[in-house]
Amino acid sequence: MHTLRDLLGKMSVCSGVKSIRKDYPVPTVTIDGCKVRVKKDATILDAARRAGIWIPTLCYHPSVPCDASCRICMVELDRGEWRQLVTACNYPVRRDITVYTSSERAQQARRGVMELLLAKAPESQELKELAKRMGVKETRYPKVTESQRNCILCGLCVQICEHIIGKAAIGFAGRGVDKAVAAPFRQPSEDCIGCGACAAICPVGTIKVRFHEEEKEIEISPFKSRAKMLVCQECGSLIASTPVNEQALTKANLNSEEFRERLRLCPKCRRLKTVAQLGAVTFRKK
Amino acid sequence: MTEDNKIIEQIIDRYDAEAGMLIPMMQDLQAECGYLKAEYVRSLSKELGIPLSRLYAVATFYSSFRLAPKGAHDVSLCMGTVCYLKGSGSISEAICKEFMVEPGGTTRDRLFSFQAVNCVGACALAPVMVVDGKYYDGVTPESALEILHNLSPEEAAETTAKEAQSD
Amino acid sequence: MISVSTKFTNSADIETLAQKLRIEGGPAAKSVRVCIGTGCAAKGSRRLYELFCEAVEQSGQDVKVEAKCVGCHGFCERGPIVVVEPGQIFYQQVEEPDVAEIFRETVMGGRVVERLLYEDPNTGKKAEKADEIDFYKVQERIVLGNNGLIDPTKITDYIAEGGYKALAKVLSSMTPDEVISEVEVAGLRGRGGGGFPTARKWRSCREAKGSTKYVICNGDEGDPGAFMDRSIMEGNPHSVIEGMLIGAYAIGSNQGYIYVRNEYPLAVEHLRMAISQAREFGLLGKNILGSSFSFDIRINRGGGAFVCGESTALMASLEGRSGEPRAKYVHTVESGLLEKPTNLNNVETWANVPAIINRGGKSFAEIGTEKSKGTKVFSLVGKVVNTGLVEVPMGITLRQIIDQIGGGVRDGKSFKAVQTGGPSGGCIPAEHLDARVDFDELTKLGSMMGSGGMIVMDEDTCMVNVAKYFTNFLKEESCGKCTPCREGLAQMFYILDRITDGEGQVGDVERLEGLAELLDGTALCALGKTAANPIISTIRYFRDEYDAHIKEKHCPAKECRGLFRYEIDSEACKACGICMKNCPVDAITGEKKVPHVIDQEKCTLCGTCWEKCPFAAVLKV
Repeated sequence: MHTLRDLLGKMSVCSGVKSIRKDYPVPTVTIDGCKVRVKKDATILDAARRAGIWIPTLCYHPSVPCDASCRICMVELDRGEWRQLVTACNYPVRRDITVYTSSERAQQARRGVMELLLAKAPESQELKELAKRMGVKETRYPKVTESQRNCILCGLCVQICEHIIGKAAIGFAGRGVDKAVAAPFRQPSEDCIGCGACAAICPVGTIKVRFHEEEKEIEISPFKSRAKMLVCQECGSLIASTPVNEQALTKANLNSEEFRERLRLCPKCRRLKTVAQLGAVTFRKK
Repeated sequence: MTEDNKIIEQIIDRYDAEAGMLIPMMQDLQAECGYLKAEYVRSLSKELGIPLSRLYAVATFYSSFRLAPKGAHDVSLCMGTVCYLKGSGSISEAICKEFMVEPGGTTRDRLFSFQAVNCVGACALAPVMVVDGKYYDGVTPESALEILHNLSPEEAAETTAKEAQSD
Repeated sequence: MISVSTKFTNSADIETLAQKLRIEGGPAAKSVRVCIGTGCAAKGSRRLYELFCEAVEQSGQDVKVEAKCVGCHGFCERGPIVVVEPGQIFYQQVEEPDVAEIFRETVMGGRVVERLLYEDPNTGKKAEKADEIDFYKVQERIVLGNNGLIDPTKITDYIAEGGYKALAKVLSSMTPDEVISEVEVAGLRGRGGGGFPTARKWRSCREAKGSTKYVICNGDEGDPGAFMDRSIMEGNPHSVIEGMLIGAYAIGSNQGYIYVRNEYPLAVEHLRMAISQAREFGLLGKNILGSSFSFDIRINRGGGAFVCGESTALMASLEGRSGEPRAKYVHTVESGLLEKPTNLNNVETWANVPAIINRGGKSFAEIGTEKSKGTKVFSLVGKVVNTGLVEVPMGITLRQIIDQIGGGVRDGKSFKAVQTGGPSGGCIPAEHLDARVDFDELTKLGSMMGSGGMIVMDEDTCMVNVAKYFTNFLKEESCGKCTPCREGLAQMFYILDRITDGEGQVGDVERLEGLAELLDGTALCALGKTAANPIISTIRYFRDEYDAHIKEKHCPAKECRGLFRYEIDSEACKACGICMKNCPVDAITGEKKVPHVIDQEKCTLCGTCWEKCPFAAVLKV
């Protein structure tokens, strides 16, 4: 049965450019047969999550803008006479669409991309786990490039440092197969505050935070950037990076001396102090 | 150092400090000493308020940017399809072997910088080699080596002396 | 020369000036036009121009002669080119000593210098004018028509030839919608490779939300073997500016950008001069020709990245970032440069617009095929007799271009394939030479028309090596953002490298095909999606060469080092001993009057004997 909506849908599919005449504020996504409604400009990935359908992702993270560079989330979009492979994480839903996530072609596409990634980053445990879940046991491709070890160039570290932390201490360098994530001039970055957000967001566990006890420094590997760490006044253990602390204090606008004192103690010593203070409180007998 | 700052300021003024004109700005900056000096890039980043990591990304993304000093002479060998089919590959090998230089690099005596470039749009003259902006057509390994051997080393000495002063 | 100091204040001013200029430089006026396009300039044509200028000065005041430098005629094989008026005498391969003779005999004396005329290699007939030469006979030069006539650094030349008449017509008598309709009737499709209907793009941009809109000219011509846009930008920059003005008016944009490849300094210079002169004449700026339409253009140079020919990468570059493409699920006409509606077109597309307005869309649509209207400029290069730029109506066959215009394969070799469409295209073999060249036909054969590059290959070309060359090119130019392009190209190159090194494995072709399909489906932009086309098209038509490399470790074209042998033809060998003397490993034995022999065990396949033999007795086997 042809409704006006069907016809309009077909028209905008047939013209090469989507000239959306009708505004669909709440379009419906039929994903693997399951119908879900999403807000306009939500993504296929949003629809999938709402429908409880799993699509693998690597370079996607809700807190930073999405570049769709990893291509692991490919799904098939119904175009009437043909099907188009699109990335779920950034395809904006503007009208009713039909999506197939488990078609042969979609699965093959995702597995092909995973095999290429496994060849690029053979030592990442997280990547191997994801591959297993996708049904990819191994890769048929040899390692043919020499640049940056185990980095899949998803760019999440670069994004979070620029958009969330606001430091932009690292960025991409080079082009093509020689592309890598690096601090400017391949020197330890002066802007890095040693917060470790990049390590936290790295989906393949390549970026690591290292503690150097003797120099009392935190290092972000592989960027060689280091920051001094605060040392616990009581027990001498490393607490957190000094610039992070300062940034947190500035942002939170807290300036009380008592608070600053607390920050000079590691969590364990802080607890002990609190207990001691509480222990010193006497309860008057009524 | 203030003279360097002046250069940066001039360049920024020329483009009204517009962030979108970063690439022309960096091209002008490179034209100052023939390559992008790290300190200049840092200054530009500070003055414009654009993160240094972005300038470094741009400097390493585009082929025309150099982060190391170049030779006195600029030698570009076209590796476009037609030139390649007519033998520019063996010309490149000959140059690399004779002068001990890699494409993208500079000879140790800073005589010339050698680049293998993609099609320069003069395909009827293949194989094409461009030296200091001058086009040589129908080049062979022998004729290429001859042209390069005839390059004046005096200019090279001048440039090295100039840079030694400014270092 | 007329000096004009007043700005045009209305459309009629242009025609007034044009008429004045035409009267001054009438048909009988004597002039010498020297081509200073890059091809001729590389052969020293600038010096020729200087010499002609000197000759003009010395000739005295009573004779009015003009020496002019003009843009690329297209017949680059025969450069430097000099054309003398009256009579349009076409001289080719002109050298410095010829200047005096040309000036004395032809310019002053009206006599032709026979030896400098073009001679047909088949008939021996000499041609006085360009249109007597086969190279030009089949061409229809709408876009390139003015290239050999006008000095690209003088706006008055352009105006004298009818320049800016279309703009005057548009601003004085057409609405934006009427302009778009005219372009729609003309059937203009993008000339940069995409072939998207131009009117549709303009209309979408016009209808997009927002009052700030941009128009961009994509001058980042990066296909190796292509120099069409270069010749247009160098030889007739005003045609591009006029096109952009008309387009901007139709779309509702007030700001334009021309993005020129960094490797084209002359194009940048000529465009800068053109823009500056256009501003002087009030053709750029506020209230153009007394209308309410204001528009200006800025030039940006590229930084050296082929990927910046992709529209979103180009826009990223204009925003001061790395040239990385982005997803086009939301089109650039809706959200492009600085997230504003942006209309990007190729140089040749823009250059067609004034012609469409001047002759009318219907007339334009009479040229070409049903779905591919108008002409296309091709750069015909490689192993043809006549290399250069040609402009032909679409629908012409490959054979016509290569044989009639190109003069066939050079050096008596046989035709093997023609590579079209640059790195996104493919190779077409002899059996399809009668295919019509347009947007759709070549795509059916596994290639594409692309931006117009046409590289002719002969029997000595190894097609596997061609695939490897293009794969390497794309590998170097990939922006590196998305996994399939970045990693896939590296993997494909690795396989092709093994194959041409003699280490191909059974299954390699299937591996390449698998990767090709993966890239086509998952790559982020057109560079990645079409990256495997050279590989797939050569597998389709030259599978036997792949098999020979892989199974027999032999290169049938005898190009891949190590995959063929050198043998001495005992009948041709004159026992001169040169090969023996030059062999670096003493693998050749022989005495006087006895044919020499190469010891295959010792031979390192360096090829020195083949190069040195004066009797061509060393054969590649």
